[in-house]
Amino acid sequence: MTKWQRIKSVFIGILMIFIGVLMVFMGAEACSLIMIILSLSLTISGLKMLIYYFTMARHMVGGDQILIRGMIIFDLGAIAETLTNISQIYIMGYLLAIHAFSGFVEILRAVEAKRLDSPGWKLKFSTGIVNIILAVICIVFLRSTSIAVYLYSAGLIYSAIIRIISAFRKTAVVFITPS
Amino acid sequence: MQEDFHYYATYCAAYLAGFTHEESLDICYSAQLVDLCSRTFLSKIKAPLSAATTQLQLEMMEARTDLVGLQDITRIWSSFHFLPYDLFAEVKKGTSKRYKNKYRLICDTNSDLLVDTVHLAAGKGLPAAGIAMHILADTWAHRYFAGTPSLVINNTNYYFYEMLPDGQGGFTDIQISFRHSPSDPDDLDVYKYTNSLFQSKEHSIMNLGHGRAGHLPDYSFIRYKYLPAWGDYDEIIKDNPSDYYHAFCQMIYALKYLIGDIAEFEKNTYAWNEAKLYEDEIKTIIEKRQLNASADWKGFGEKLSGQEIEPFDLTKYESEYVNAENDDKDETFLGKFILAAMAQKSMVTNKIYTSGNLLAGYSIDFGEKGFAGIKDYQLLVKHFQKGFGI
Repeated sequence: MTKWQRIKSVFIGILMIFIGVLMVFMGAEACSLIMIILSLSLTISGLKMLIYYFTMARHMVGGDQILIRGMIIFDLGAIAETLTNISQIYIMGYLLAIHAFSGFVEILRAVEAKRLDSPGWKLKFSTGIVNIILAVICIVFLRSTSIAVYLYSAGLIYSAIIRIISAFRKTAVVFITPS
Repeated sequence: MQEDFHYYATYCAAYLAGFTHEESLDICYSAQLVDLCSRTFLSKIKAPLSAATTQLQLEMMEARTDLVGLQDITRIWSSFHFLPYDLFAEVKKGTSKRYKNKYRLICDTNSDLLVDTVHLAAGKGLPAAGIAMHILADTWAHRYFAGTPSLVINNTNYYFYEMLPDGQGGFTDIQISFRHSPSDPDDLDVYKYTNSLFQSKEHSIMNLGHGRAGHLPDYSFIRYKYLPAWGDYDEIIKDNPSDYYHAFCQMIYALKYLIGDIAEFEKNTYAWNEAKLYEDEIKTIIEKRQLNASADWKGFGEKLSGQEIEPFDLTKYESEYVNAENDDKDETFLGKFILAAMAQKSMVTNKIYTSGNLLAGYSIDFGEKGFAGIKDYQLLVKHFQKGFGI
């Protein structure tokens, strides 16, 4: 990582923590903020895909479909931004999918690690179970706005912390000229 | 490539190069270990995780594809399975630096990095020789793909045909329709093969190496043609029987250099004469239409040496390493393997970095700046300071 990339990562991480904490204090009212964030991310994803097409994918065999996908995602994001009063059920669906998938993968990893007698399997298994529990909470409280906000905020803060930790990770590899 | 070539065929190459039965077993053990030395395995034996030479499927599923994660993935796969061919390759005008950097990691045979790899293994013992043989062999199997997740380089499309010999010197083309179920084995009778799912994200792990071409590069018998994503709609014909025979003869040649029979390892040179006597037998094994040629290679190897070739056992050297005192670990088989793997990763990362490409991350020259970066690599420095070459 360059110094600039590290600074950027830390800055974005702090911003994410700030938004996460803010949403916890806002409670149910933060639901519309989450929808704005999600629709904005969709628009940005579409934009990024278009940039990706013009800088890289246009050289690829069959690269045109990236252009089409980019345009569709960008449009979807723009449409989502114009909608108001969307039910929190969509946020819950999004959170449910993320936690269920992560939990499933973590448990599979734990089983594999245990099969290879690796000591790290217990931690992986616990993480997997926590994710599955969060997915179950999403199902149970499918219509609860405040639970959706708390879960989303917790996820945002967790991602921010990981991002900040990553920014401080030592990543260079030492090289010794062969004798 | 898979166990049949990395383990059994490598044994045969080592024996033909002049190594003893026991030495050949150690070389092929190390060559096969490259496909199994994951972080999960290393954490089990409490070894430095930076020595990982592969990633298990589930490790990859949970691998982060942020900048740092991508560099880690690229270090592993470019160093051991997809050795880049030309780090300064010219790309047509109008391409971005990002594209150029990916393009330059495409693997092919007889590269400068291959020479560096074989040189690096010289005088470092049998585990280092085995690692070098794995890398060399994979340059033949994995050519035209890159060891970094990249849709624009590694993608394939519907234009993918298996070329079956028609018995009259020509070929019949059969279009391959891939499926995406990793648990289903390939079915050679109906030409059904498994590949990774199409993901439009450039950095998706599905776009690493030859995932989009399934296991086809790993089968010695197969010939196929397709349009590589990077190839500007030019068709590539991959003739695995020819490539695998080249790989086998180049391994013998490289091992003759490592044993000290040849003064210099050069590109585009093969030990044709050493294999000549067995050419028909080897080609018959290579061309036999089967998912796994281990039994045939094992039979051939046992005929060569007159000794039994034991099956690969991942736990073979574990207790030696685990029970050794900390100061003695580097002298164990796995200790030497770990040092050689880290030296290889460090060398390839340095070459990629000094070419102006940051896809494998930063490299710090110990001679100029002293030690910095990932702590695991202190092991290399310690070894160097003890007076051993790197």
